[in-house]
Amino acid sequence: MVRSYFRRAYSSFTAHVFDIPPRFMAFLFFLLLLTVPAMQLGSYVLRLLIMANIFAIFAVSWDLLVGRTGQISLGHALFFGIGGYTSGLLFQFFALPIWVTIPAAVAIGALAGFLIGFPCLRVKGPYLALITMAFPLILSNLVKWSPLEPIFGGELGFRSLPPFFPFLPFTQAIMAEYYLILLLLFVSSIVIYKIANSKTGIVFVSILDDEVASKACGINVTRYKIFAFTISSFFASLAGCLQAHILKLANPPMFSLDISFLPVILTFLGGIGTIYGPIVGSYIYVILDRYIMSILLPKAFESVGWTLPREFDFAKLLIFTLIVLVLIIKWPRGLARFATDELQNLEEARDLDERGPRIWKRYKKTKH
Amino acid sequence: MLEVQDLTVHYDGAMALNRVNLEVGDGQFVGVVGPNGSGKSTLLRALSGILTEVEPGKKERPSLSGSILFEGKEISKLKAWQITKLGIIHCPERRRPFAEMTTLENLEMGAYLRKDKKDVRKDLERVYELFPILKERANQMSRTLSGGEQQMLAIARALMSKPKLLLIDEPSLGLAPILKETVLKTIKEIWSSGVTILLVEQDVAITLATAQKIYILAHGRMVTHGAKEELMKDRDIREVYLGL
Repeated sequence: MVRSYFRRAYSSFTAHVFDIPPRFMAFLFFLLLLTVPAMQLGSYVLRLLIMANIFAIFAVSWDLLVGRTGQISLGHALFFGIGGYTSGLLFQFFALPIWVTIPAAVAIGALAGFLIGFPCLRVKGPYLALITMAFPLILSNLVKWSPLEPIFGGELGFRSLPPFFPFLPFTQAIMAEYYLILLLLFVSSIVIYKIANSKTGIVFVSILDDEVASKACGINVTRYKIFAFTISSFFASLAGCLQAHILKLANPPMFSLDISFLPVILTFLGGIGTIYGPIVGSYIYVILDRYIMSILLPKAFESVGWTLPREFDFAKLLIFTLIVLVLIIKWPRGLARFATDELQNLEEARDLDERGPRIWKRYKKTKH
Repeated sequence: MLEVQDLTVHYDGAMALNRVNLEVGDGQFVGVVGPNGSGKSTLLRALSGILTEVEPGKKERPSLSGSILFEGKEISKLKAWQITKLGIIHCPERRRPFAEMTTLENLEMGAYLRKDKKDVRKDLERVYELFPILKERANQMSRTLSGGEQQMLAIARALMSKPKLLLIDEPSLGLAPILKETVLKTIKEIWSSGVTILLVEQDVAITLATAQKIYILAHGRMVTHGAKEELMKDRDIREVYLGL
């Protein structure tokens, strides 16, 4: 009796909450992000959120290439690093201002994606993944190579890159950076979302689905694959040079495997192929890994009078991995998609005829 | 319309087609029959250019020699998408609908190359007339369709490309006899609306019943060709290749 009452209360609650159209929900989410600096959370938290937004751009670009086009890339760090290093090189040797280095870095990153597309067309699936994985490792060793140290700065890379707002005091500069990156995330995710849902995006999905059938439909598969690589690398290198300017640092770890696997984790957390999923995933990652485990937990321990052992830094990765594992096993299709599926099911129960936005429909669970 | 001369295809050294000659006249309904492994699908894949496209992950490409003339133009060196643009549409074996798309989106993919939006809409109506079931399934994911519906979808998708020459590969594969007949009847209807058709089939009986001219393919060679009556006259052919 009690249970059925609760169930009815729950369903009436969800029916009202999910009445809000998803677009409006996304808008509310961005509005919430806009008000974050007013919450006085401190500059460290703000910086974390900036990083979350940069990772989100990075992961969204990966999602377009892998989740939509099916070209598995495990070497997105290549574009990330190229973005950062181009910024660094241009500043170091030509002392160009930031509004020149960023477009140049993005253009060179896109060019790299375009060029990488050609050799990668010859292979498929796991082979493609392995080949793409090799490229950033090659570049990582190249920039560390001692004869090239005068150019690339060796192990240290480039330091003291120009910040975005050198004329503002520290706290205000961070706030301004936060808004700038948020705006860039907003713009780039909308651009990618629009591409993914345009005619081109549908062609991308058709390539993921069945290459032979796409060819039979008269699609120039080669051209679209290279196009997907180019767009994806464009935004990935944007993320790279943004990080370089935020951290004022471009160093060899930008080409590391950690960075290559980052968008994979973020995208699978949020839901692959959704475009909005990776954004959710990167917020979960940053909040879980960099905030709760790095700040809140040590603080909580301190308040009781204990101190965390130094080994906890190593255990952190393990704990985070375990949490991600559990989340992915529980919601294999991603947290964000799980939420939108629920939403879609409720909507569908209400009106069966009206067709929702393609994207939610496309990956909807098939019901038996 | 289509003239194939001495078409030879090798897969990694194994010969799949051996000096095949074939001719499809304007507005004809031509059938190709033959047992498993005789090279029927290879023939169609060679015609539509899918065969020689670089297949990711494969070291060797099948090699092709001979000439394929479509409306007097040599097409054997063209890419698949260029051939599709000329009006040769391939409806591939095992149907291959885009599983992650709805029926309607699949049909839209078929019309991908076309710029005439108005005619596309008209053609969509026509396709729905031919296959009323697809209209009912318009917003359903294509992977949830039954085998027969998927075959209809594949043919409908090919139709949306506004073919001059439609290459259909094994439409009866895995269908119940009654569905086979429906599909064949629709193909005939498409033919009577002015599309030239090259049908490849294992099911000899239905091909004989529908096609104007029939080619018999065995071990990569064209054994013989002719109209149904001519073929049925020859006892050897009837017993060995047609099994009737």
